[in-house]
Amino acid sequence: MVGPVNAPGRSGHGRPSGRGRRGRPGGRSERGRRGRDACLVGVGETRYAKWGGITGTSEYQLAVEAILAAVADAGMTPDDVDGLASFAEDRNDATFVAADLGLPELRYASLSWLPGGGGACAAVANAAMAVESGAAEVVVVYRSLCQGQFRRFGQGPGNMSARVGPPRVPHVRRATSLLEAHVAFTMPFGMFSPPIAYAMVLRRHMHRFGTTVEQMGHVAVTTRAHAARNPRAVMGDRPMTIEDYLASRMVSEPFRLFDCCLENDGACAVVVTTAERAADAAKVPVTVLGSAQGALQGFGHGQYSNVGMPDDDYTSSGARGVAARLWARAGVGPGDVDVAQIYDHFTGLVLLSLEDFGFCERGEGGPYAASGALAWPNGALPTNTHGGSLSEAYIHGLNHVVEGVRQMRGESTCQVQGAETCLVTSAAGVPTSALVLGRP
Amino acid sequence: MTERWFPDEMPMPAANAETVGWWEAAADHRLVVQRCTECGRTRHPPGPVCPRCRSTSAQWSPLAGTGTVYTYTVVHQAFIPSLQDRVPYVVIAVELDGADGARMVSDLVDADPDEVAVGLPVEVAWEDMGPELAVPRFRPASGPGRTRTGTRP
Repeated sequence: MVGPVNAPGRSGHGRPSGRGRRGRPGGRSERGRRGRDACLVGVGETRYAKWGGITGTSEYQLAVEAILAAVADAGMTPDDVDGLASFAEDRNDATFVAADLGLPELRYASLSWLPGGGGACAAVANAAMAVESGAAEVVVVYRSLCQGQFRRFGQGPGNMSARVGPPRVPHVRRATSLLEAHVAFTMPFGMFSPPIAYAMVLRRHMHRFGTTVEQMGHVAVTTRAHAARNPRAVMGDRPMTIEDYLASRMVSEPFRLFDCCLENDGACAVVVTTAERAADAAKVPVTVLGSAQGALQGFGHGQYSNVGMPDDDYTSSGARGVAARLWARAGVGPGDVDVAQIYDHFTGLVLLSLEDFGFCERGEGGPYAASGALAWPNGALPTNTHGGSLSEAYIHGLNHVVEGVRQMRGESTCQVQGAETCLVTSAAGVPTSALVLGRP
Repeated sequence: MTERWFPDEMPMPAANAETVGWWEAAADHRLVVQRCTECGRTRHPPGPVCPRCRSTSAQWSPLAGTGTVYTYTVVHQAFIPSLQDRVPYVVIAVELDGADGARMVSDLVDADPDEVAVGLPVEVAWEDMGPELAVPRFRPASGPGRTRTGTRP
């Protein structure tokens, strides 16, 4: 739930953590959504293609197409939509989307401040708060990412053109943003890109806990197998063994190419509305049991720009605080989760997220993954059943929300039979967000 | 000019009011850390306010220029074309001596990539990237009985 904790008269609010349905007959029925409680009623996406694979259609048009697909999936039309939400410095402004789609009236528009992929679940949560507060009735969350048309995400701001400009810069330039002044302490040192920054996090995790590259490889191989069943997956026709993984070229030790998420073109969208409106939706509405976003003090802005944080934070996903609030607000715990969509920009950070969301002890993420826990259908926690950012598509994790909705509807290509609760997380390594989805 | 380890095309820093003092000190080959004048807490990268006592008063505290490797990565991919002949290079996080736990991102130079390890003692090695612009790299600390291998250009 995204409303105030302990609000009276609304099911599921502020229940103590651990009120799992297991061993609690009838627990499920307590969770029925009512009135203005937020539900996810539509999902949609464009074709996903490798970097540069979509050239005839702009990133902006893909955003519009994904929104139209999600709205149609909900059994609605743009005339029903009065809110838009996104994240990650979205280039495709909601005000333009609203105007170009001819929305009757835009009543809510928001962009999450959480950096990069940290904001996918937050954008959904913000949309949920908008409908629960009555500010809007139907909010579409969208994300379009065409890396072939723009540059690689996360390269740092401003002009990487510095690299092709005058060879000598006589004086330090004036920064045009806080971020630009901050990455001045990383870019001149050759830390150009997220894989370099997060390779250092995993190196420290290995040093402290003994995590291995083979354990990271389990994440890559397992989610690739899931992608093989998903016709939307960019890497669906590219099977991978652990030998293939180990043979892939080194990017930034210990990360090989197959530790890193895809770079691709595509867009997806999710429709959020009230339980009342959801009763008329074309498909089974999916409930938002809980959401949380942010970062603890020690973690600050994340390891990309801050290597000085306490060791316990540096070797973590940064989501411990988010996880604690998420479970408390959802009224469930990690033991109640049937299926998970864990943000996977890098294999190793999945291990850290598994630890911080409580599926295993600190430092045990590697052995947990290597136990086969993440594999569909028989693992303890089938994870990234669409193939994730490593093998389906890198849409900054909004496609993880889409897959969560499909799991709760029973529509996944790796459907977990009888799944009633799905965890969705956004990026580790930055201030982040997460959702627990459920069935009504 | 100092010895050079990285190409001219490396991205050059941009600074704002809070960080420009650090780069001015670097131009003089002085390694400093920002320190709160009220409570003494260090912070890096520099910022406008102390996260502990919220004082906006700070000073540039000089450092010895030594430290140890907290973590590292050996980068094999040339993310900019002119690094094609320079890879693999070693990016490190240095825990700076005398900085009360503050760490900074830098590079390990004058060392074979195989030499890097968590806990490796290092010392600053300045690289003048242009007039009034110096970037602190680090090399394995010189010490008694220590031998160097594999110097890289």
